[in-house]
Amino acid sequence: MRRLVPYLQVAPLATVLLLFLVIPVGMILVVSFWSYDQFDIYPDFILDNYRYIFTSPVTFSIYLKTIYYAVVTWAITLVLGFTISYYLVFHVRNLLWQIGLFLLCTVPFWTSNIIRMISWIPFLGREGIFNQALLATGLASAPLEFLLFSDFAVILAYVHLFTLFMIVPIFNAMARISPTVIEAAVDGGAKPWQVVLHVVLPLSKTGVALGSIFVVALVMGDFFVVRTMSGGQSGSVASALNNEIGLLQYPTAAAGAVVLLVIVTLMVAAILRIVDVRRELAA
Amino acid sequence: MTGTERRGDVALHEVTKRFGPTLAVDRVSLTIPHASYCCLLGPSGCGKTTILRMIAGHEEPSSGRILIGGQDVAGLVPAQRGTALMFQSYALFPHLSVRDNVAFNLRMRGVPREQRHREADRMLELVRMTAFADRMPAQLSGGQQQRVALARALITNPRVLLLDEPLSALDEFLRLQMRSELKRLQTDLGITFVHVTHTQPEAIALADLVVVMNQGIIEQAASAREVYARPRSPYVARFLGGQNVIMGKVRDQDGRHALLDGPGGALFRVPLHERRPRPGEPVWFAVRRDLIHLARAGAGAVTAENSLEGLVEAVEYQGSFVKVTLATATGEEFLVNEPEAAFFASPVARGDRALASWQPDQVHLLEPDRAGAGGSPSLTAAA
Repeated sequence: MRRLVPYLQVAPLATVLLLFLVIPVGMILVVSFWSYDQFDIYPDFILDNYRYIFTSPVTFSIYLKTIYYAVVTWAITLVLGFTISYYLVFHVRNLLWQIGLFLLCTVPFWTSNIIRMISWIPFLGREGIFNQALLATGLASAPLEFLLFSDFAVILAYVHLFTLFMIVPIFNAMARISPTVIEAAVDGGAKPWQVVLHVVLPLSKTGVALGSIFVVALVMGDFFVVRTMSGGQSGSVASALNNEIGLLQYPTAAAGAVVLLVIVTLMVAAILRIVDVRRELAA
Repeated sequence: MTGTERRGDVALHEVTKRFGPTLAVDRVSLTIPHASYCCLLGPSGCGKTTILRMIAGHEEPSSGRILIGGQDVAGLVPAQRGTALMFQSYALFPHLSVRDNVAFNLRMRGVPREQRHREADRMLELVRMTAFADRMPAQLSGGQQQRVALARALITNPRVLLLDEPLSALDEFLRLQMRSELKRLQTDLGITFVHVTHTQPEAIALADLVVVMNQGIIEQAASAREVYARPRSPYVARFLGGQNVIMGKVRDQDGRHALLDGPGGALFRVPLHERRPRPGEPVWFAVRRDLIHLARAGAGAVTAENSLEGLVEAVEYQGSFVKVTLATATGEEFLVNEPEAAFFASPVARGDRALASWQPDQVHLLEPDRAGAGGSPSLTAAA
C-alpha cells in the first residue's frame, strides 16, 4: 500500500498530461501518415504529406516569415521586459508601488484577446485615431499606410500581447538578486552600466530564458494575430495549418503540425542549452 | 607628517544621518588615524553600521562632512574614495568563480584577463584560498567565503578597509583564528581598518581605537585599555563588562574625596579629581571585578565604607579565577572575579552571605551617559 502512495500522488497530473497532451499529439502523429481526398481521410501509412511540406516552396517562405516575426518580437519584448523589470525591481523600492505597477502591466489582459486585437484597427487604420492626430497636428501630410494590415501591425500586436510573458520571469529572477551584491559591485568599482552588464544581466539569465521560451513558442504557434493584423496579407505556419484544416486536408495539417512541433522544440532546446535553467533555479 | 603618511586618515565632522523621522547618527565627530585598527562597538541599531556605510559611500550623510586622507569625499563613489567594504553577508557574486570574484574590480577597470587572474591568484594566496580559485561561491563554507570577500576587497588596494561585522557569522574557533588574521593583515598592509562589531572581546583584542556607540552618538572613543579600564560613563562600563557600576548620592565632599550614600545604607568614599559634585547629586562610579575583596559576611548591618553585602547567587569556576555573582541592594548583578588561590582559601557557596569590599583609590568615577538619562537600563555585555 505504502509503495502505491507516490504513484497516486502523480496520478492526477499524469492523467491530465496523458489525456490532453500525449494522446492528442499521438493522434496528430498518426493522422499525419494518413491519406485523404476531398471528402474523407483514410487510415494509411504514406509519406506524401511530409513530401508535400518539404517540397512546397510556400513552406520555406512561410517559416521564414514566422521566424522573422518570432525573432523581432523576441528582441523587442526582451528589451522591454528587461528594462521594465529593472525599473520595477531596482528603482521602485516600495513594495506597494511595485505591486501596483505590476498590476498595471497586466491591464491589457483584463479584456479578451480578440477585443484587444480588434481595438487596434480603429486606432491604426487609414482613417484611424492615430493618423487623424498626425494630420491634425501637422506631423504628417498624408495618412501613414504601414500602420495597419502590415508586418508592423503584426509585430506591434505581438509585443502588446506577449511583453508581460517576458516581464514576469525576468522580474522574478531580478527580485532574487540580493541588494548587497549590487552594492558589492559598486564597491568593487563597477559603473552603473557595468553593474547591469556584469551582475544584473547574468543573474537574470534564467528569467530571460524562460521569457524567451514563452514568447518564441507563442509567436510560432499563432495564427489569429497574424491574420487579423495583416488583414490576410501575411501568413504564418499556424495560419497555413488553419487554412488546410478549413479545406479538410487534415493529414497535411497534421504533418505540418508535427514539423512545427519539432522546430519549436529545437528552438526551446537551443535556449535551454545556452542557459541551464534547472541549475540556475536550484542555485 | 607628510601627505602620503596620512592618506588613510578618516575624519567625521558633525555627521548626522536621518532615515525619515529616525535619527540614526547624531552629530558624530571622530578622527581615525592612518594605518590604525578602529572598532565601532555598540548594540544593534546604535548607528555603527550606518557610519561605516557613510564612510564607504553607500549612504550620504544628511549633514556634516567626511574626509578621507584630508579630502572631502561627499558625492564620490566608493572606488574614488579608496575604500573597500567587506559585507556582513560577504555578498559574493554567485555567478562568478572565486578567482573572477576576486578579480572583479580589475575587470571593471579593463585590466587584461591574464594580468587580473595573476593578481587575483596573488590575493588568494594572501588569504590562503589558492586551492579554491576555480570553485563557485555556493561550494564554499562561510569561513572560506569570507576569505574570498576579503581578497576581493583588498585587490582594490584600498587605503581604508571597512568591515561590517566580519566575524559574526563564524563559529567560535574560526572567529578567533580569523580575528588574529585580520590583525596580522592590517599590520602587514599598513592601511586603516574600520571594523564594526557588537562583541566587546573582539573590539578590545583588535582595536587601537575603540569607539563605543549608543543611540547614534559616541559614548567614548579611546584605546582598548582606556575604554576597558577607564570607561567614561556607566553605559561604557556596562557594555565593556569587567566593571561593577554603582550609584550613590553625594552626602558630603572635601574637594579630594566625596562621601556617597549608597543603596541599603552603604557608604562609599570616592576620589574626586577635578569633579566637584553638589550634595544630593547622584554620582556613578565603577569598580573592577578583579580588584574586589570577597569575604564571608558576619551577622549585622554593613558599617565599613566601600563595601556591599549580598547573597551569593552563583559561583563559576573559570580556571585562573572564580566568578562570584552577588545579589546586592544596588539592584544590579554584582560580579567579583576572585583569583583562584584567594577564593579557595576562604570559599563561599551559593546561598551564603558575602561582603565585597574595595580600596577607595581603585574606584573609577563615571560621568553621566551622553545618550538618554544617566545610568540607563542595564546592558549586560558578554562577561
